[in-house]
Amino acid sequence: MGNVLEVQGLSKKYPKKDVFAADGVTFDVKEGEIFALIGPNGAGKTTTIRMISTLIQPTAGDALVAGHSIIKAPDKVRQNITYLPDEAGAYKTMSGNDYLNFMAGLFSANKAEIEKYVKRAAAICGLGDRLKEKIGGYSRGMIRKLLLARAVMTEPKLAILDEATSGLDVINALEIRKMIKQLAKEQGMSFLLSSHNMLEIEYVSDRVGIITKGKLMVTGGVNELKERYQAENLEEVFERVVNDNEVR
Amino acid sequence: MKFGNLLKKELRELITKQVIISMVFTLFIFIFMGRIMSGAIDDSIEASSSITLCDKDKTDFTAEIISNIKEDGHVNIKTVDIKSDDYAVELERLDIKNVVIIPEGFTDSILVKKEPAPLKFISEIKTGGLSSSMSTISSSDAVSSIQKQATDAILLKSYGITDKEIERIQAPVNVIEYSVADGKSAMISASDLSGIMMGQSMIAPFVIFFLLLMASQMIMTAISTEKIDKTLETLLSAPVSRLSVLTAKMIAALIVALINAAVMMIGFVFYISGMTGGMTDEISSSMTTSASMGTSVDIGQAMSDLGMMLSVSDYVVFGLQLFFTVAIGLSIALMLGAMATDVKSVQSLVMPIMILVMVPFFVTMFADISTMSVPFKVLLYAIPFTHSFTALTNMMNGNNTAVLGGLAYQIVFFIVCMFLAVRMFTTDKLFTVSLNLGKKMRNKNPADQEA
Repeated sequence: MGNVLEVQGLSKKYPKKDVFAADGVTFDVKEGEIFALIGPNGAGKTTTIRMISTLIQPTAGDALVAGHSIIKAPDKVRQNITYLPDEAGAYKTMSGNDYLNFMAGLFSANKAEIEKYVKRAAAICGLGDRLKEKIGGYSRGMIRKLLLARAVMTEPKLAILDEATSGLDVINALEIRKMIKQLAKEQGMSFLLSSHNMLEIEYVSDRVGIITKGKLMVTGGVNELKERYQAENLEEVFERVVNDNEVR
Repeated sequence: MKFGNLLKKELRELITKQVIISMVFTLFIFIFMGRIMSGAIDDSIEASSSITLCDKDKTDFTAEIISNIKEDGHVNIKTVDIKSDDYAVELERLDIKNVVIIPEGFTDSILVKKEPAPLKFISEIKTGGLSSSMSTISSSDAVSSIQKQATDAILLKSYGITDKEIERIQAPVNVIEYSVADGKSAMISASDLSGIMMGQSMIAPFVIFFLLLMASQMIMTAISTEKIDKTLETLLSAPVSRLSVLTAKMIAALIVALINAAVMMIGFVFYISGMTGGMTDEISSSMTTSASMGTSVDIGQAMSDLGMMLSVSDYVVFGLQLFFTVAIGLSIALMLGAMATDVKSVQSLVMPIMILVMVPFFVTMFADISTMSVPFKVLLYAIPFTHSFTALTNMMNGNNTAVLGGLAYQIVFFIVCMFLAVRMFTTDKLFTVSLNLGKKMRNKNPADQEA
């Protein structure tokens, strides 16, 4: 299996800040793999994700998405990714269907293809007839489902989901996790997730990367890390990694 | 295709039900106000032709006076009977606002006793009300008319002067007014001309004022909502260029601004035509008066002779100025909106634009910039919007250098603004710079906001 994402020493320093928000972050995500970045607030997760999504420029380092550099070929990178920001909203004046059509239209100019994307999204989000209604009347859970369906409808090589299940109830969160696992397994789609929720990450991820103070401390499979740190769960691994301040 | 998709989305975002309702409402308000003003002016015209008289003398002479007043254009002469000297009670009883009383012995005093004849003019003082003041003015006209007729009668009866000679005595000078502008002259009164100029150039500043504020607020809310809702991040991580996102936003806002401008223009035309309906009558009546005096005044011709009529090229230049004014406002608003951190901060971010629009609007409305000191002039002309507020007046005065110079400045200003907007949109600044005028200017590290 080839790498869909190769992150090489990615760093970001914001103007008027003394420290690096992301400092030499290096990891890779394989085809069909679900990789999760975990870390406390301000650890550098969103900064790293935003750089990979071509929203902000790295101060140093590079990342290759499907072989395309985020610095040299951001347009090509955007054709291969979808990004779902944390606590993102959607255009309230549009109906669910209109929104899906609009977003599909940004990925393809072909009508048949657009229709295919929208049909797929409608099936994934499970909102049924509610898709005809204005998004302004949707609950938070409904919006998140719609956005997740939008993020995967084009079958991108890499779907980047920042706090994929935030704001969802247990049942909805479970559905989303199942959906992510299924898409990775059946469609070979790769995922880069970020989350606070260690239990969710433990359930859904193939590999994790623990990030704190802008530095990626450790990466590895969930079971591998549990064994390495002799921990019962990922939360304990996280605690020990942060405490040890270990850098691999 | 992708750009069309973006533009369609931006238009849908901007042209909401609320916006359509507010446009219709604006139009309705203007038409309604125009109707009210038109009604008030009709009332005042009616009041100006109505006179209340009480003839206690009841002689042939007073009857002739009343008939002459009627011939002077005061068609509605109401004759009443004032029974007591308590005028407050009498006015209330008769439901009138004023009355001219010709007392008993009026004719006798003028023609027989040859002494000043008493004439009573009673007016009720009431604040406000155009028709009330117009009615007082028309009654005082009647008083003047009675005085003039009394003089005529004395001249005729006591001194044997003929009607023709009396006419010459009354108006020994025939004033013919000329106005000079931009090295040309035309036979038209300067006061009439400035009245017409004011009427013609007052619509544009209002439209520019409301258009700029509305368009800026609109795009600022749109872009800040996109940023706060993070739909902008979603959009910019999709395979579309940032420039096309920016262009779609600008074009959509310009289209909506254009529609709004059209609605406002139509509304203003209704409003102004309602308001100036009476004034037009007044001008045409003054023209008739001039014609009767052997001079004919064609206002259109006079303005054309003076080079004050706007040509097609003037309108094109003005249209371009309007376009660049709105485009500058939009580009500044776009940048400010992109710096918003929350919905509340949008309200404070619109302040700089409001100040830049309000200062030239009020200054040009109440003062003449050309007479101001150099530092004030520089300061005012540095605001790109000022040039649009002064454009029509400059055009009418043939000050083409100021008009074209203003346009050139606006184009340069727009290019600079767009350069900055493009720079902001194509770099990290879109996500890293934030501004909250309600608190303090600061750069915010998005890492601080990380979940």
